[in-house]
Order: sequence, then C-alpha cells, then structure tokens
Amino acid sequence: MSILIQSIINGLNQGAIYALIALGYTMVYGILRMINFAHGDFIMVGAYTMFYTAPLMVSYGMPPWMAVLLAIVVCTVVGVLVERIAYKPVRNSGSISALITALAMSVFLENLAMVLFGGNPKTVVKIFDLPMIEIFGAKIQMKYLLTLGIGIAIMVILTLFVQTTKLGKAMRAVPQDREAATIVGINVDKIITITFAIGSALAAVAAMMYCSTYPRCTTDMGSMMGIKAFIAAVLGGIGVIPGAMLGGLIIGLIEILVKVYVAPGWYEAITYSILIVVLLIKPSGILGKNVGEKV
Amino acid sequence: MKKKVISATLAIAMTASMAAGTTVFAEEEDYVIKVGAVCAMTGGSAVYGEGAQNAIDMAVEEINASDSEYKIEIVNGGKVADDAKDAKQAVNAYNSLKAEAPEAIVGSFFSAVTLPMAELAAEDDMLLLATGATNSQVTEIGPTIFRNCFIDPYQGKMAAQFANEQGFTTAAVIYAKDDDYSNGLKDAFIESAEALGIEVAYVGECTTTDTDFTAQATQAVGSGADFVFYPCFLDTVPLLVQQVRDAGFEGAIMGGDGWDGADTSGLEDYFVDCYFTNHYSSEDTAPAVQEFVTKYTEKYGDESLNACAALYYDAMYMLVEAAKNGGGSDTASLVSGMTEMKFSGVAGDIYLDEKGDAIKPVVVNTYEDGKIKWLQTIAPEA
Amino acid sequence: MPKKIKINYVINFIGLLLLFAALYALFETGIFGTRTDYFKGIATTACYTIIMVTSLNLLVGIMGEFSLGHAGFMSVGAYASAILTNALAEKGVPTFLLFLLALLAGGIAAGITGVLVGIPTLKLRGDYLAIVTVAFAEIIRVAFTNFEITGGGRTMSGITKLSNFYWAFWVMVVCVTIMYMFIRSRFGRTVKAIREDYIAAAASGVNVTFYKVMTFTVSAFFAGVAGAIYAHYMTAMIPTSFNFMYSAEFLTEVIIGGTGSMTGSIIGATFLSALPEAMRAFAKYRMLGYSVVLVLIMIFRPGGIFGRWEFSLSKVLRRIAGKGDKE
Repeated sequence: MSILIQSIINGLNQGAIYALIALGYTMVYGILRMINFAHGDFIMVGAYTMFYTAPLMVSYGMPPWMAVLLAIVVCTVVGVLVERIAYKPVRNSGSISALITALAMSVFLENLAMVLFGGNPKTVVKIFDLPMIEIFGAKIQMKYLLTLGIGIAIMVILTLFVQTTKLGKAMRAVPQDREAATIVGINVDKIITITFAIGSALAAVAAMMYCSTYPRCTTDMGSMMGIKAFIAAVLGGIGVIPGAMLGGLIIGLIEILVKVYVAPGWYEAITYSILIVVLLIKPSGILGKNVGEKV
Repeated sequence: MKKKVISATLAIAMTASMAAGTTVFAEEEDYVIKVGAVCAMTGGSAVYGEGAQNAIDMAVEEINASDSEYKIEIVNGGKVADDAKDAKQAVNAYNSLKAEAPEAIVGSFFSAVTLPMAELAAEDDMLLLATGATNSQVTEIGPTIFRNCFIDPYQGKMAAQFANEQGFTTAAVIYAKDDDYSNGLKDAFIESAEALGIEVAYVGECTTTDTDFTAQATQAVGSGADFVFYPCFLDTVPLLVQQVRDAGFEGAIMGGDGWDGADTSGLEDYFVDCYFTNHYSSEDTAPAVQEFVTKYTEKYGDESLNACAALYYDAMYMLVEAAKNGGGSDTASLVSGMTEMKFSGVAGDIYLDEKGDAIKPVVVNTYEDGKIKWLQTIAPEA
Repeated sequence: MPKKIKINYVINFIGLLLLFAALYALFETGIFGTRTDYFKGIATTACYTIIMVTSLNLLVGIMGEFSLGHAGFMSVGAYASAILTNALAEKGVPTFLLFLLALLAGGIAAGITGVLVGIPTLKLRGDYLAIVTVAFAEIIRVAFTNFEITGGGRTMSGITKLSNFYWAFWVMVVCVTIMYMFIRSRFGRTVKAIREDYIAAAASGVNVTFYKVMTFTVSAFFAGVAGAIYAHYMTAMIPTSFNFMYSAEFLTEVIIGGTGSMTGSIIGATFLSALPEAMRAFAKYRMLGYSVVLVLIMIFRPGGIFGRWEFSLSKVLRRIAGKGDKE
C-alpha cells in the first residue's frame, strides 16, 4: 500500500516536471503551429545557468533559487535570438522547413554547450532546502509539492493571460488567421517574439524545478526529455494550456506505475502506446478541440 | 530483362571484387610505433573522450621524453578519432585511422561501437587494444584483439564476493537494460550472489538515459534489501544514489568501474557507504598511480579523471612494452609481444590471457566526505 | 512514347554502368592508396543512406506526410535479416543467395510492420502523424531491447559480413529504380493527387487510406532493405543506435535534397553522409558546423537544394547533341 502511495507521489512529481516543460511547447505550438524541438535545449541552457550562478547566489548570501532570475534572463535571450535568427526567416516556408530548422537549432545548442562547458555531467547545488514529511509510510518531499504548485500556478496565470488580456487575445488571433490578424492591427512579428520570450522564460523555471529533483546537467539532457514533454503536450491537447498540465501528469504517473507494477523494461513503450491510442480515438488530444477542415 | 542484366552485372562485379586482393604495405624498420586512437569525443559520452585525449597526450609525452627504446606517434595529428558512441561513425573512424597506416589502434570505450571495429581489425590483422569494451565477445573475434579492461562477468562476481564478505544478505539490482556493460555485470552479480547465498530480492530495469529512479528505489527499499548493486555509468550515479537514499535506503550501494569520475559535490552525505570496483584507486600509494593522478590533476583538473583516462594511459605503455617483447614496432611484432603479456601500470598488474583478456586485481573503493577512498584490493584468481 | 521511355532507361543504365566502372576503377587501382577502405566505407554508408532517404521521400515528397520514425523500420529490417542469416549460417547457402535472402527478409519484415503501423495511424495528418511515427519507432526500439533474440539490450554481434560497396551499390540502384517506377506509375500519380487535395481525391472515388497505407508499406519495405545492408555491413548493432536522432537525420537529408526529388535525395544522402567525415578534423566543432549549414540551407533554399527537379541523363545527352546540331 505504501508503495502505491509512494509511486503516485513520485509519478505526480515527475509529471509536474514534464508538465512545466510541456507548457513551453504548447505555448509556442499554440501560436505558431510549430514543434520547437529546441525547447528541451532551452531547458539545458537554463540548467547550466543555474549550475554556474546558484553557488554565486549562495556566496552573496542569497538563497540559491534566486539564480532562476538569471536563468530566466539567459533563456529568454537565447530563445528570442533563436527565433529571430533561425526561425523567423523560415516562418513562411512550410512546417517541414520549420521542423528541420528547430532540429538543427537543437543540435547546435547541444554542441555549443559541449564546446563551452565540456562533456562532464555537472551536479547542481541543492536549490531548495525543504523538509520531507511522511504520510501513511510514504515519503513526500516538500519540493515535490512546490513543483506541482508552481506548475499549477503557471498554468492558471497563462490561461488567464491568454484569455483576458489584450496581448493574450492577440496571441490567440495569430494562429487562427495570420493575415486577418495583421489587418486588424496586430504586429504578428512582435506577438511571436513575445511568445518565444514567455516560452523560454518558462523553460528556465522548468529547469530550476528539474534541477531541484534531478540535480544534474548534461549537454544532451534536453533532447529526450523534450520529446517526452512534447508527447505530454500532444496527449493533453497541444495548444491547450491546461492540456499540457494534464498530459504531463498522466505521462509521469503512467511511467512510474508501469515501472513498479507492469514491466519496467517496457515503460517507454507503454507510454508511447497510450499516446497512440489516445490520438486515434481523439486526434486533437484529451482536452483539444476537434476542428473541422476547410474544404 | 533488365533485372537479368542487373543480376548478371552484380555477379560479375562480385567476382571481380572478390578476386582483387588487398594491398600489402611494406613494413618499415623503425622504433616509432604509429598508433591510432578512437573514443567518443562528441555526444553524451564525450567526457570519456576528453579523458582519453588528455591521458594519451600525457602518456605519449612521457614516453617520448623518456629513454624508452620505442617511441609513440599518434596518427591523425595526435587527435583521438571520434566515434560519437555510434557504430557507423566508429567504422568510419577506424577506416580513417587505418588510412594513415598505424601499427596499432587503441579503442574504443563501449562494446557496441568496438564490436564492429574488432570485426574489421580481425579482417585486416590490425592490432586492436580495446580499452573499455567489456562485452566478452570482443576478444573472441580475432587473435589480434586485446583489451586492458575487465570483462563484464569479473566485476559482477567481485561485487557479489565483496557483499558477501561484508555480511550483506539481501541484494537489489538496478541495471540499464539497453547497455552491454550493465547487462553483463548484472548477470554475473546475480549468479555469484545466489551461489554465495545472498538473496537477490529485487531486479529493476532502467535505461542509460533515465534520470528518474524513484520507482526502482521505492521497490528496492520495499524488498528489504540491505545492498543495492547499480552497474551503470558515472552520469547517472549521483542521481541514483540520491534517489535511493531519499527513498529511505540505509544499506550499501555498489557499482563497477563506470562509477569512477562520478560527481559527488553536494552529495557527500549520500555517498557514505557507497562502493565501487575499479582498476585503481586514486589513493593507491603505488608510485605509478600517484604519479598519474597528481600529474593528470595538475595538467587537466580532475573533471575528466576517470577509469577511461587510466585505461587509455596504460594502453600507450602496453604498446611500448609489447614492442619490446616482440622486438619491433610493426603490427606482427606488437601482436606477438602483447600475447600473454605481463604488464604493470596504473590500472594494476595485468596479465593478458590466451584470449587477449586482461586478468588483473580489482580495487574496491569507497567514499569519505565525497572523496574516493581505497578500501581493499582483491587479487585475481589463479 | 513507351519506346522513348525504354531508350531513356537504357541510357540511364549505361550511365550507371559507367559510374560503377569509374568507382570500381578508383577503388581497385589503389589511387587512394591507404585511404581506399575509408572512402569505400563512406560510399557503402552512402548507399544504404540513399535507400533510406529515397524511401522516406516517397512519404514526404510523394504522399506529403512526414515521418520521424524511419530508423524504426530500418531496425526491423536489420534485426530480421540478421536473425535469418544467423539461422542460415553454416548451412552451405551460397553467399550471394544468402545476401539476397537477407535483403528480402529485411524488406518483408519492415513492410509488414509498415502495414501494421500504417493502418491505424494514417488517419492522422501533419504534426500528429509525425509524432505518432516517433512513438512507433521508440516502441520498436524498446521491444528490441527487451527481446532475447535481438540481444536483449546487448549488442547483437557476429553477424556475417555480407555487404560491401559493390553489392550495396547495385542494391541501391535496383531499389531507387523500383521507387522511381513506383512514382511514375498510375499508383504513384494517384498518391500525388491525394497529396495535392485528399478531399478531392476521396470525392472522386479514390480509396485514400488504401493508397496511403500501400505507400507507407513500400517505403517501410525499402527502409528494411537498407537495414539489412546496414546489419551485414556493421556486423554488430544495438537498438539504441536506431534512435530519434537517426530518424531525424534521414528526414533532414530528404528536405535538404528537395522534397519529391529523387535526385535531391540521392545527392542529399551522399552529401550528408560525407559531410561529417569531411569535417572530421574539426572533431568537436563538426556538429556545430553541420547544424549551421542546415539552418542556412533552410533559410536560403527552403524547398531543398534541388526542389522538385530531377536529373535526367538522356536530357543532358540530348542537350549536348542538340547543341552539336546547331553548330
């Protein structure tokens, strides 16, 4: 019994991290209809920033999590630069070109990190010094609750932002009809840049929570995690902000439960099978809206 | 009709290519051993390549500055060729090195990329000294293939023996399903542990790219084990140790030489009562080891100082030794010099058996305040 | 008209023979000296990569859908063929026959997987299909890691070395020719119609799903053949090699060459299998350079280097001849 409770807790924690990453994917996809494969690598950038700056924070007498502010700045700059330099020129040449460019940027960032930081995995200092509580024989780390809390908070803030603010409404208008959006006076370029800035800032927050649970950064940490998180976003309904949260939590839970109760060696296969089944039943994902195609 | 033409042409082409013999290069009489080196320089395992390059640079510099009769020249401009831990790049790396007509090739560190290279080396009668390819099949491919690392079964067996000696009774194993090394150590550990009367209460699978081990940790703790065996590589070791400890595990955690170089900073408390088998201990008082460790740390820092660096370092000295034994720097002399060679280096006193596998003592290391500390050396069985 | 096509085929075949003879002469006379095996190795890699990329181009260029899991089919072919040749080893099957059997086994196994994957997934389109192909390729990889017969996570080694450049070359020629004929056939034209407007195609009575699944299967079949060449060239393999990045590499090569252009695929595959080797001297900077080149091509030639253009030897000859007439 305690194993079940423990596994659910572990699954929710892992899921919350996937969800934080998935939020970034969903933001960009929602506005641009583009799979930003480099998003996982933005997280890598954030993690390395945390690695280098968190000890500095400590030495100035500040809590190590303050490093996330620097990480947000670095990630935003990297994200906006990538968008401006690489993505903007290919924006109108079709989704495959955009996808390849994103893949290339992912390879670029990984190898740049390799040149800059070397190949040795780095252990990040403890970011949160939080206690652990025990309920029914299961151990709950307070940082797990924090991860989940931050995830939900970001989800709510983003949803409100997109639904109610003028900027948010403009963001929703862009994917529906780019030309019409331009006609009504929306600066599409600016909106897209803002979207990338938000998505990259989210990556920095995700990096912080990732490092608090898995305190290690490697140059290739972004690629596999990125795919998992993207799949979480698709499962929940890509472009739908609460969908990313839901998808992340589902994938996290399934992975842990499969590892414990079904077949540990097959856990990835089972996760992917569930994605396939969901997409076949409801191609737009769990919370996604089915949009009929224009003839 | 066209198909017939094609198959006929194919057949002709085939016979022609079979008939054409391989070119034989004239052996030069000199005292310079030309060596090619292969390791993963890019990708997720680049830390091993970094260590290999540094260690080779250091060894070659030492050898060539010494009064050794034989000198070493690293082809490819002194650079280690990159295999990126990928089979097709390894084959290309091997071929590109071969183009510079080396007398021996050193590498690579992973079995999956060394096996295709070994196949080519056997075909070309090239001396291949594998450094980390622990899969037992590697040296079976040909008589010119050697290795200076342990083979998988050996370390697993030693870990089981160690657990038994320390009085542990129930073991849990967590291993990476998609890796040769991990599979090999796991099998050997389970077999030996059961023979010694240790109960293997839980066997958990993960992959080499996993970062979350909470599921396996919970189960390992739930199984009542007092000993966890985790035969994987240095990048995931800190994560595993931390998560297993956080799950409430208080027993011993042990691994193989893949642990060497794992970053323990900030996790000093977690690494208490952790052990790993290795080729050497940085604490070892043997002069060869001390000299290697101090010099390496001075020159390159300790970031890439791991078992891989030590093995590549030794490989250079082994080749010089082989040239002395065989009486020449050409491949044939090197092979004959290396067969059943006895060698003493950083990674212990090695004896290469008739298959080309290294028989050598195992060092068990533990951690004290996050630093590696020598615990015991287990001599090889006769 | 058919006669003209026949002549074209003959001209192209003669061209290929000349190319082969040239390569054969280059490799066998030892002009490259000690580099011969190195270049031969790259050329062999290029051959199976060409098959992979052209077969993926059937999906991307002809069907208009993209797959990010082509390495999965390749691994099915590689493992199926290796299991077969291991079983037949030392049974006295002549090498040539054994190689053909291996190719067929690889192709058929991958083709069957293609049907199984295609039937449920091809209802999806665009990004969703891409992500499902990723999922399938990952499932295949996990399965091979777990099956005992494929090594159980360990490297499967000791596969008989059957592939060499000369064989791989002709297998590649046959595969590309068949795919070219497939595109030019009535079947291929129907698939192109589906790509242009699948609703219109369905409305005019075309069974869209059938055509899509068939194309998918043909594409998977050739990926399997390429896998068989790979397995019998490498002689050892591990499921982790057939990962997402490998699939992404193939898709990249298709796009760089030009979607829908066979010529583009062939040159794209050759170019990109040689590029990392050409940059070998730069070791750790080579992947940086590679990614920059990719981005630049995407920015300045978004349709790929060759777009939809096809090289035709007979056209070139005619042009040369035409010029000759004028003078």
